[in-house]
Amino acid sequence: MGDMFGAIGISASGMAAERLRMDVTSDNLANADSTKGANGLPYQRQEVVLQAGGQSFSDALGNAQAGVQVSGIVNDPTPDRQVYDPGNPDANAQGYVTMPNVNTVTEMTDLITESRSYEADTQAMNTAKELYLKTLDVLR
Amino acid sequence: MGLFDLTDLVVERSLAGASQRQEVLANNLANANTAGFKRSDVDFESSLASALGSGNPAAAVAGVSFQPKVDNASPTQADGNNVNMETEMSGLTENAVEYETLTEIEKNRMAMLSSAIGGGA
Repeated sequence: MGDMFGAIGISASGMAAERLRMDVTSDNLANADSTKGANGLPYQRQEVVLQAGGQSFSDALGNAQAGVQVSGIVNDPTPDRQVYDPGNPDANAQGYVTMPNVNTVTEMTDLITESRSYEADTQAMNTAKELYLKTLDVLR
Repeated sequence: MGLFDLTDLVVERSLAGASQRQEVLANNLANANTAGFKRSDVDFESSLASALGSGNPAAAVAGVSFQPKVDNASPTQADGNNVNMETEMSGLTENAVEYETLTEIEKNRMAMLSSAIGGGA
């Protein structure tokens, strides 16, 4: 049987996942032009991989809805961009600089998706809260 | 017959169904960006309707359970996800109105019961 606190927890898991995605997107944007990371190589774009929660056998039996979980943050294998900028200290002999594989347009659209999904989760959480209060009302 | 009749039982089961549906739709929204995720929904109304239509409605309604169904029919995006923001939000709103109506009904029935107990005083 479902319960409202479960619904609130599910929405919270969605909000946490979207927040993490926003953090990673911001990191990608901030490092869109970082030609040297801690390892001396250009920054590599990162992506959050999400998976539906509650894959355990007992959850499957009880048909429990268990929200979403982060399965990991992975590097995007897309090749780096080559930009001609001979004045850059990181330029190679031909004058090309290896820039991170970050596309600002992709990041901005991701940011919009993440923020909308976060809002939708907030809305669902508010609805659950209201329904819970309505239930208490019956007892008055 | 006890204090609570079949109507109370149906209202109680409907509330359980509506709260389960809230959970399922919230889960769809939480997984709006999970690759390969397929949305689910609960049709608790038809489960209850068939329980009410059976030979022994009281027992059937008391024992009814609702199973979320995976929706494979909705249009799927390139990443294998078929969650639709609009469908989920309108489902949540519809479900909330239904839940509130049910609690209102139960509230009124409780008020009737308490006035009967108090002898209308």
